[in-house]
Amino acid sequence: MADFNVSSRVDGDVNLIDVKGYLDAHTAPELENEFNKLIEKKQFKVVVNFSELNYISSAGLGVFMAYVETMREQSGDIKFSNLKDDVYSIFDLLGFPVLYEFYKEEKDAIKKFG
Amino acid sequence: MRLLVNNLLEGNSRSKLEKFFFSIILLVLFKIIFPLVDATILVIINEILIFGSLTLAFLYFVEIQSSKSDNPISLTLNVGILSAVLFFITSLSSAIFDTIENIEEVNGIFYTFSSVIISQLFILSAVYILASFQTYYLMRQKRAKENYFNYLLIALLLASFSGTLSKLNPELQFVEKTFFIVSILLVVINSFRVSWIAFLTKKQKVFVLFISIIVSALFGLNFAFFSESNIIEQIVFNFSSGVRISYTLIMLYGNIYFGIVFFTTLFHLPTAGAFDQKSEEITSLIDLSKLMTQVLDFKELADSLTDATNKVCNSDSAWLVTMENEERNLISVNNIGYLEAQNITDELLSEFKMQLTEVLTLNKKLIKIKLKNDVRTYVFQAIIVAPLKVHEKTNGYLFAAKRQKYKFDQDEKKAVGAFADYAAIALENAKLFKESVEKERMENELEVARNIQSRILPSENPTNEQLEVDALFVPAFEVGGDYYDYFQLGNNKLGFVIADVSGKGVVASYIMAEVKGIFESLSRVIESPKELLIETNDILKKSLSKNSFVTALYGIIDIENGILNFARAGHMPLAICSKGKIKEYLPKGIGLGLDFGTIFSSNIDNMEIKLNNNDILMLYTDGVTESRNSLNEEFGFERLLNVVEANCDTELTNITRSIFEEVSLFSREQQQHDDITLVLFKWKNFKKSLEKLNG
Repeated sequence: MADFNVSSRVDGDVNLIDVKGYLDAHTAPELENEFNKLIEKKQFKVVVNFSELNYISSAGLGVFMAYVETMREQSGDIKFSNLKDDVYSIFDLLGFPVLYEFYKEEKDAIKKFG
Repeated sequence: MRLLVNNLLEGNSRSKLEKFFFSIILLVLFKIIFPLVDATILVIINEILIFGSLTLAFLYFVEIQSSKSDNPISLTLNVGILSAVLFFITSLSSAIFDTIENIEEVNGIFYTFSSVIISQLFILSAVYILASFQTYYLMRQKRAKENYFNYLLIALLLASFSGTLSKLNPELQFVEKTFFIVSILLVVINSFRVSWIAFLTKKQKVFVLFISIIVSALFGLNFAFFSESNIIEQIVFNFSSGVRISYTLIMLYGNIYFGIVFFTTLFHLPTAGAFDQKSEEITSLIDLSKLMTQVLDFKELADSLTDATNKVCNSDSAWLVTMENEERNLISVNNIGYLEAQNITDELLSEFKMQLTEVLTLNKKLIKIKLKNDVRTYVFQAIIVAPLKVHEKTNGYLFAAKRQKYKFDQDEKKAVGAFADYAAIALENAKLFKESVEKERMENELEVARNIQSRILPSENPTNEQLEVDALFVPAFEVGGDYYDYFQLGNNKLGFVIADVSGKGVVASYIMAEVKGIFESLSRVIESPKELLIETNDILKKSLSKNSFVTALYGIIDIENGILNFARAGHMPLAICSKGKIKEYLPKGIGLGLDFGTIFSSNIDNMEIKLNNNDILMLYTDGVTESRNSLNEEFGFERLLNVVEANCDTELTNITRSIFEEVSLFSREQQQHDDITLVLFKWKNFKKSLEKLNG
């Protein structure tokens, strides 16, 4: 289908992952790779910036579920920021906001890690 | 007459042999009846009988020699041995016996027999040699050029017959001489047909060089013996003068032919090594192309390739590396250590930063490769690196390296390039084959998944006077994990569930089966939808992997009173169309499998709704709203709700059909990615109708 792109940045001890395009069963492994790299580097504080993500499927959601436990056990977390409305509604329907922190702006999420 | 000739020429070698023996018997009978031949007619009959039998013998020999046309060496040996035997007999007998005076008058059965045997021995050997020459002549001959040999045969016959004539009438000797000279000319022309020499290996050429000079000399001596008078010559001449001339000419032919063979071989010898190299190259290319079609295992082919590279390019070591997604794999090594090859590859490729798209030769100077963490230095005279390219994409590299003395020449570079091309194609083939196997396996798996799904879903909708039910299920190619079901709970209550398992294929369909089992049993014991979903979540803890989840919506309709009680676990909202207006209901609740503790149980609520007469209840999965058109837009909630609203007061089946049509039309240019599931209920208030009637 459409493209997906993932890249990461660093802000202090917080790692920022930018996801772009369509995150589904076919593109999810790319995101998993990114998380694996972070875990290898012992980086557990992650903010995922969704500003350019257009669609997420159940397989894409599964990626976060798979890694959040590891991050939290190491006193880190995965936080979400800059979601488009329709992408947020997917998370919302599933009840993600109960389990994960969502922020309008990336910097608010970073601040939360303090 | 023609029939007779055809009959003589055809038939297998055995029948030819029989014909030949028959002609010999005729000849012997003739010689016994007419031991002394002097009348002209008898001489002519004598010659005709002899040449008739010789022709038959020639045909027979040609037949048995056609099998040797691929083996000039054994043919040469045969001819050589025969000429040596002839020489031996001639020289021995001429040394022991004196010539016989007045041989024309010698008579007696003993002489007749011995003269027939000796003459036949000689002339048959000569005919055999002649047949061999024809085989030589046709060997490696690409175009039809056998005329000259046939001309020679005719000239040979004419010379022989004219020899007989000149014996009868010495004035006609010039005819004999003329044909003799013509024959010699044709012999010389035919003797240049020696192209088979070029195809011998160097070793064979050296062998032929020595043999040919000896054989040529033997033929020369045989020829010389028959040019002057000695006992054998006398016997043969007395037997038939034509035979003597034929024999002489054939011996001369041998002398000239092998002389030319000698010189040709001599001139071919210096290039023999290079020729061997070329022919080896061609042979290995042919072998490889055969392998390509037979071998699907790339490793095996790669081994043959590196082996061939070393042989053809005179390299000391060769190895082949494939690349897939930036990952290098050393597939085959020939005459080099595995680790060594790997290290050198890394070193060389990093030096060129993967910019290798053409065959590269490192010839200029000594190549010294010093590796990190290794005390050794690898020294090479020259290295060729050839990329394996298919569709402008480099899938690997073929390496050839020389350790000693020589550099690679242009031809060797080309050969490595050719081998790399073969490897590239074979690699692509192997990949395609693997993909097709993988695809087949996946299709089989999907078949299983579809099977499971079709058994899990209800085969028919429940029928009830007060509650109409209709459902639509369109499976995606990759089974999407949608599930819906109904549970009859007592007389008045109908339980229902709609669920979507994350993920696809077989895994999703197994979880679906488990979910069905859980709902089947829990619906009978737990009345509260919320409690039922909490219990379900708890059970699924054991079977759901970290990254998978299930969304579900479970509810119970009290058919008599129209009371709907439901709870939602992360699923799409429930929609109700009442009096032409549609509304979504979204009680809180997170997906099954997202949390297995109190977060799940404290974040889920029941919702109770009192239905009105003819209210329509709609449940669906995200396959409906996430259907996409060619612009990649989603069908969305709004379109769905609009369709239902517009058809709210029509038959239930009509609503289902309308939704299906709209979705299909919307996404007609796109493949369906997820299962599409839709379940609709229409509740009729009988009490109300009764009240109306009564009222």
